[in-house]
Amino acid sequence: MNKIAYFASETWASLRKNLILAVAAIAVVAVSLGILGMVVMGWNMFSNMIKNAERKVGEVDIYLSDLTTEEERAAIEAFLVSIPEVDPTKVTYKTKDQALQEFKERFKDQPELWEYIDENPLPNSYELMTKDPKDVGLVVGRISNEAPFRDRIEDVKSASSAIEKLENIFDKFRQIGIVGVIALAIVAVLLVSVTIQVAIFARRREIGIMKLVGATNWFIRWPFVLEGISEGLVGSAVAILVALAVKVWILDKLIENLQFLRLSLSPGLLAVLFPCMVLGGVVIGALGSAYALGRFLEV
Amino acid sequence: MIRMRRVTKIYKGNVYALEDITLDIEKGEFAFLVGPSGSGKSTFIKLLIKEEEPTSGQIYIADTNISQLRKWKVPYLRRKIGCVFQDFKLLPHKTVYQNVAYAMEVTGKSRRLAEQQVPEVLKLVGLGHKLDAFPDELSGGEQQRVAIARAFINRPPILLADEPTGNVDPSLAEGIVRLLERINEAGTTVIMATHDKAIVNTFRKRVIALENGRIIRDQDRGVYGYE
Repeated sequence: MNKIAYFASETWASLRKNLILAVAAIAVVAVSLGILGMVVMGWNMFSNMIKNAERKVGEVDIYLSDLTTEEERAAIEAFLVSIPEVDPTKVTYKTKDQALQEFKERFKDQPELWEYIDENPLPNSYELMTKDPKDVGLVVGRISNEAPFRDRIEDVKSASSAIEKLENIFDKFRQIGIVGVIALAIVAVLLVSVTIQVAIFARRREIGIMKLVGATNWFIRWPFVLEGISEGLVGSAVAILVALAVKVWILDKLIENLQFLRLSLSPGLLAVLFPCMVLGGVVIGALGSAYALGRFLEV
Repeated sequence: MIRMRRVTKIYKGNVYALEDITLDIEKGEFAFLVGPSGSGKSTFIKLLIKEEEPTSGQIYIADTNISQLRKWKVPYLRRKIGCVFQDFKLLPHKTVYQNVAYAMEVTGKSRRLAEQQVPEVLKLVGLGHKLDAFPDELSGGEQQRVAIARAFINRPPILLADEPTGNVDPSLAEGIVRLLERINEAGTTVIMATHDKAIVNTFRKRVIALENGRIIRDQDRGVYGYE
């Protein structure tokens, strides 16, 4: 208890003495961890969006003209089921009324999108799933080239190509983000170590006397280690506040207003992310002080 | 208490600081280590507190071979050896009391124990009335007494003093050595490096004379012996 009080008071005194440097170190820790938090939240949001989209990857939509007769439709359906790459149990017909109902359901919070529609503009359509998502292109080609009554087929669509492009873009973003976070974390470690070096220098006389009277190495080191770790902790706390603010005031608004993108944050993400940020702050602080102690404190 | 066996210390650039030193200092002895500047007195002290390592040879303190001592055990060695230096090495922003209590604090003693023992030891060195003074308010002689109190507070079996009278007014120097003598009489082995001829000749203790890193004379109840 005696020792803890001693370490705490030494740490606090030292932090106060080089306040400006300590604030700079805390700021860089906060920025690096804050960006880490935002990259993780952003990445999670977009990967959820892609996952939502990917559920449709094996899916091909065939939109039929309103002029299609019942016989023509039956012939087209028979053809679709007969395609070897198509899962015959997953060929479903969706009437234009069902399509409109689904649309209304999905945008029920934005009634202005459908309130004023007099005539249903959505077509009748078939939705089918390929047995293997990679055959989507093949199936789209077969339908476009071999189906009966092709003039009744207005469009054949699959989601895969757009998703691939999107994934590539987000991967780039993620890579840049991770490189940036690592670079900033290194700068943060160095800056923490500078503050510790200054603290060691300011107390070199005291350290000499401590060694002389037989203080153990760890007794001498602890206040400096605590100083580094507390800088890391305060930095991570600031970063968490910033990340929380970004989530509440930016991400939640995006999710709410861009519903058609189906953005979302995984539930429980923050419960993992925030402790990781605190841990990151502790690690940055500990590494910074370890580096300074290793170089400048011979015990 | 202290045994040196064929101890040689060579600094970088082939500088021989100590050469082939073999000696014994028994428990309870008081020894002066004399010699001109650069004769190896300070190196002798630094080897005993493991601030420097001998180039060859063995050093035993209380039957422990300190050359083989693991690094993490060095602080425990230093707790057995009180040290006093020419420049006092006091902390300027701490009071007399705090400077002495510091030596207890960093070795994990309780605050209550310090409150009992520090005033006692300061009284012993004649500073019982200056507990709250700061070092720069004291004379050189008084500062050295604080340093001696700090070296003695943990009751070490050995006390090393490196030129303790070097920054002390000559008229007060004798008082400092009297104090060391009293500590010695209480059972602590004292080694004092000095080139103060008057002091050595007054006290008539064992004299170990160094020159160019070698022992040239080792004499009980000796005199300084240099002109």
